[in-house]
Amino acid sequence: MPEQPIIGIRELTKIYKGSEEAAVNGISLDIYPNEIFGLLGPNGAGKTTTISILCGFLQATRGQVTIDGHDIRTDLDRIKQIIGIVPQDIALYPTLTGRENLAFFGNMYGLYGKVLHEKIDHYLAEFGLDKHANRTIGKYSGGMKRRVNLIAGLLHDPKIIFLDEPTVGIDVQSRVVILNYLKEINRKGVTIIYTSHYMEEAENLCSRVAIIDRGNIIALGNPRELVRANPEFKNLENIFLHLTGKEMRD
Amino acid sequence: MKTYLSVCRKEMLLLVRDKAGLAMLFIMPVVLVVISSLMQESGWGELSKDPTVPLLFVNNDHDTLGTQILNGFMQSGSFEVIDSLDGKPLSDSSAREAVRKGAYTIAVVIPKGATSTLLANVRLAVAKTLAGFGMGDAALLQSLTLRDSVNVTIYFDPAVKRTFKNAVVGSVRENYYKFQGEWVFRSFNREMARQMPLYQPPKEFFSEALRFREEYPSYREVEVIPNSTQHNVPAWTIFAMFFIVIPLTQSLIQEREGGSLFRLLTMPVSYMTLLMGKVGVYLVVCLIQTVAMLAAGIWLLPLVGLPKLVLGNDLAAMLAMTLVVAMAAVGYGMMIGTISRTHQQAAAFGSISIIILAAMGGLWVPIYLMPSFMRSVSAISPLNWAIKGYYDIFLRGGGLAQIAPQVIKLLLFFISSVAVTAIYHSVKKPMNN
Repeated sequence: MPEQPIIGIRELTKIYKGSEEAAVNGISLDIYPNEIFGLLGPNGAGKTTTISILCGFLQATRGQVTIDGHDIRTDLDRIKQIIGIVPQDIALYPTLTGRENLAFFGNMYGLYGKVLHEKIDHYLAEFGLDKHANRTIGKYSGGMKRRVNLIAGLLHDPKIIFLDEPTVGIDVQSRVVILNYLKEINRKGVTIIYTSHYMEEAENLCSRVAIIDRGNIIALGNPRELVRANPEFKNLENIFLHLTGKEMRD
Repeated sequence: MKTYLSVCRKEMLLLVRDKAGLAMLFIMPVVLVVISSLMQESGWGELSKDPTVPLLFVNNDHDTLGTQILNGFMQSGSFEVIDSLDGKPLSDSSAREAVRKGAYTIAVVIPKGATSTLLANVRLAVAKTLAGFGMGDAALLQSLTLRDSVNVTIYFDPAVKRTFKNAVVGSVRENYYKFQGEWVFRSFNREMARQMPLYQPPKEFFSEALRFREEYPSYREVEVIPNSTQHNVPAWTIFAMFFIVIPLTQSLIQEREGGSLFRLLTMPVSYMTLLMGKVGVYLVVCLIQTVAMLAAGIWLLPLVGLPKLVLGNDLAAMLAMTLVVAMAAVGYGMMIGTISRTHQQAAAFGSISIIILAAMGGLWVPIYLMPSFMRSVSAISPLNWAIKGYYDIFLRGGGLAQIAPQVIKLLLFFISSVAVTAIYHSVKKPMNN
């Protein structure tokens, strides 16, 4: 593990207005370059809040975050240039075509002209969407939308990419395409921070995971090492259920 | 700049693909202006060639006074005088019944002997006056007695407006006094001639001494007659411009709820750039709306028999006015869209507030018809500032100097809306609550 983390989180706390409980409760964590880091947890555990703070959408109540050496409170503009976001929602415009959506988001990252169009063509082909590029997003299947949602976060070649449940509710084929691509870009040096409810997926994909519950990190490490250290649970899902309990969450 | 243009392009594409939204922005106002102008035209008195208000007239007098009042109604051009129904001459009771049933709104009944009563009373008044000068005719005075007043009955439907009632009563009264004046004058002359053989009565009658000259004072030498077109085209143009609050707030909230705003705010682009992109596009929409409405006023309204819109003669003033009205409308939409949490909230508050501001601002009912309290309240509506500005241009031949107060108020409204939007966003980011 390299010594210098690409993301450093210290005592990060977020308390929403009107709430007495902290959504994120003083977590500290280092994420290193070229990791695929999984943030796992039940609904309302604090995963999306943590990612929203890391990408500058939310302000932390307390704590410190540095990304690639930049403090998020003072250097957010620089941080925004090197991170990519793939939100949980299909954050696309349904009445624009796939190509128009990607062109617009590419423009927002300062990409224009030939460079942008070559990138869009490349990604559309890579994700099997080239034949559908000029159809409006509203006419895409769930899996196709997820793939465009992912491409929109990759167009500017980010150093770090945040993915909030990128494979939720899609067909197996689309899931395989997405996960394979994530592994490929990770091999090229992109650090990936990823949240999911799919434990098996996280176990296979992630180099390290943090299990979060009620705003606290309750387990941290390589998923296979976590399973090895707790042989009675056999897999990550059992460890997860053991740590977070079996009662359902809202 | 490139980022800003990209935001504008995206907004334009979203707008162009929303067919229902486009219909609401461009077709609805044109339809509204045509319907409202047609409905209000008789109220503005421009369709005088084509009487529109039927009036039942029962002439039991069958003499000069009844005929004079009848002619007065017919010559006014505002009434279609009806004296028989189903082939039968109207009577007091049948006219009353027709109004009671709601088939007609007004009936005028001239009583029997109205002329002879009036003439007898005039003759008595003249005789008494001359007696005061020692010129009395004792035998004549003895033969005359004062008769009861002439009672003209007018039946009104309860829905008839007071102003209209006044017009009908005024018309009867005017013809009655005209007739009475004529007869007083004639009686005097006749009596004077009878008692003073050398007396030469004047040949001209004094009733023509008073004439009216109507004029609409304007800033320049423009001949613009107020009519429903001159009122409705600017009024509905302003309404349409402010109604972009609906698509604009929908666009803002859709972006927020769909997650696109989340993605955009994590990109190297500011919220104000995103907002200003919308402002740019919706300003263009407002300008196109204005052109469409003016074109409808000039070419479409005359096709349905309405007066043609007469533009003022200061294009710069009209451009300036349109631009600041558009800015005020877009600023208001931006503010509502940012403050509202849901589509429903924005749609309900946005549309109702525009309707209230329009009603308050005198877009539907002229301000001079409002009670004094409402007249002072209307001064706080930006739609009132807008209509005042357009009236200055369209009706009074005003230019930039005359519309300056309204332009300044609308600009300040835009600046305040943007400031509230920016402050609200910085204090209360979408997920920071």
